Amino acid sequence: MVSRAALALAVALLATAGVGQPQTLQRLSVQSFALSTDAARPRVGVSFHLVVSLRIRERVAQIENLDLPMLAQLELLGDERESAAGPHGTQYRETITVVADNAGPVAISPATLQAIDARDGKPKEWYTNSLTLQVAGAGAQAVPNGFRLPANGAPAALRVSLWAMAAACIAVVALLILRRRRPIVISQQPPAAPGPELPTPIRTRRQRAEDALTVLRAEPTRAAAVRVRAAVWRMVGASNGETLGDVLRRPESSDVTTRDLLIALERSAFTYEDDLSPAIVDACSALERYIDSWVSS
Amino acid sequence: MSSRAESKDEGAGTRRPADLRDALGQTIVGQTGVIDALLLALLSNGHVLLEGPPGLAKTLACRSLAAALEGDFKRIQFTPDLLPSDIVGTRIFDQRESAFATVFGPIFANVVLADEINRAPAKVQSALLEAMQERQVTIGPASYPLPDPFVVMATMNPLDSEGTYALPIAQMDRFLMKVSVGYPSREEELRILDRFAVADTQPIRSVATLEDVRAWRAQAHDVHIDDKLKRYIVVLVAKTREPSEFIDFGASPRATLALAFLARGRALLNGRDFALPDDVRAIAAHALRHRIGFTYRLAAEGMNADRVIEAIVAAVPAP
Repeated sequence: MVSRAALALAVALLATAGVGQPQTLQRLSVQSFALSTDAARPRVGVSFHLVVSLRIRERVAQIENLDLPMLAQLELLGDERESAAGPHGTQYRETITVVADNAGPVAISPATLQAIDARDGKPKEWYTNSLTLQVAGAGAQAVPNGFRLPANGAPAALRVSLWAMAAACIAVVALLILRRRRPIVISQQPPAAPGPELPTPIRTRRQRAEDALTVLRAEPTRAAAVRVRAAVWRMVGASNGETLGDVLRRPESSDVTTRDLLIALERSAFTYEDDLSPAIVDACSALERYIDSWVSS
Repeated sequence: MSSRAESKDEGAGTRRPADLRDALGQTIVGQTGVIDALLLALLSNGHVLLEGPPGLAKTLACRSLAAALEGDFKRIQFTPDLLPSDIVGTRIFDQRESAFATVFGPIFANVVLADEINRAPAKVQSALLEAMQERQVTIGPASYPLPDPFVVMATMNPLDSEGTYALPIAQMDRFLMKVSVGYPSREEELRILDRFAVADTQPIRSVATLEDVRAWRAQAHDVHIDDKLKRYIVVLVAKTREPSEFIDFGASPRATLALAFLARGRALLNGRDFALPDDVRAIAAHALRHRIGFTYRLAAEGMNADRVIEAIVAAVPAP
């Protein structure tokens, strides 16, 4: 009898183990749950953000039982949470600042949320999409391999399959409709051969430097110097939020001519008014030397 | 340097703050953070709070700085039985003169090392901090100005937690910067062994005067900060006040001022008369780490203040 009671208790405990403790889970109607990034091509040593976005129908002060993605290949720098509750529910957003220490592919697992589904009262686990990023390589790009799906408890692969089937059905229906509406072709003249593709003009670094010099000479003001500085920053692969020290550490800034140019432009952007004109003159000279270095190389 | 700086440099001759830094670097191996902190405090007319284990040349740095400026150096060892009069001075009855005479305390020096400030009770800490703020002390019926320049380097030993009185954040805010000092690298320790194998510390030569320091301070005050940089500083400090799981309360406007002063000082130390975003980023941690209240979760999750500040700085794009 005792053994039977113990067995019954063990079965009862096992039955509830996988669900955790439902009485501590929030009761939520999850409308969307997604993982995104603001870095199309993250670089080693440059921080970027992963954003977990959640929208629910209920108005809550905080979200519980939300587990962030595993960041085995990334270093965590910071974490911010924002929650906005309104008449239509709550929009929750958690921004994780990370940095990659090594180049190559980085796989970021989905974030998970455990809650009681308000629609049917059952405890469930929701998943965001996962991400695969290519750090500091050629053609680094964020490859979201999931969509912003209507949140449910189904695994990501099944959701992808369902969406693909739905898209295929829609495409077939659209094709059938278009075929029925196509007018009867009387003339059988063959279509004209397509002309040769014109290549998209690409400005070389030297040409962009020449453009910058033209701008700065035409408008020797602080505002123009700031714009030219931003353009040269982009030319060496830096983003506008980087300091001179950050940019000088880039491999593209290793030669003396480029470094002198960057330093001269930094001065023209931040020096005092009486020094602005000489600073812009120096910046123009540095641009000329930079352009000449491309001619001679 | 540009023409504007050159015209103001005439009063200080050809001596520059960088010369002082080089001279200190010849006596003190490594510890560039301590040396730069002392110089920045001198140029910005502020004081430094140093946190680190003993034996890292803190006393040597202060003594060398005073010697390099031909100034006075005093060291105050804080103990639990210290009294405020032991710091600022007192009046003693002179029997020969049959009158009270004022005896000035060790705070009357150009460079003061307040060692292990967290060992003394709050009353003594307040006496020091008030003198630092007011730059004068009151002994008996009269008030006496402290020397100019006047810089205090206070140290706190993080290792000994027993018998210490924690410095409140409101008091720590009076320090312009808080610097964390670490152990030297292995190469630096080898150089220390080589340098001091034959003799004890080598005397430092005088490279500047107190008048030079006053002139440099005026130059630092005139270092230009562009409006973009001012907005960057304000946004940076405002970022510390946003809700965060690691931050209880953010930095005050005193931090905004400290960032501006230190950026100017660093620009001058590097031979510029205009500040750059790099100057602000380089001193941000020194100006912020003792002005932000962190939650218990910081220690519980194995984070440290500097990593939180790094994330804040990384999250705010530079102009």
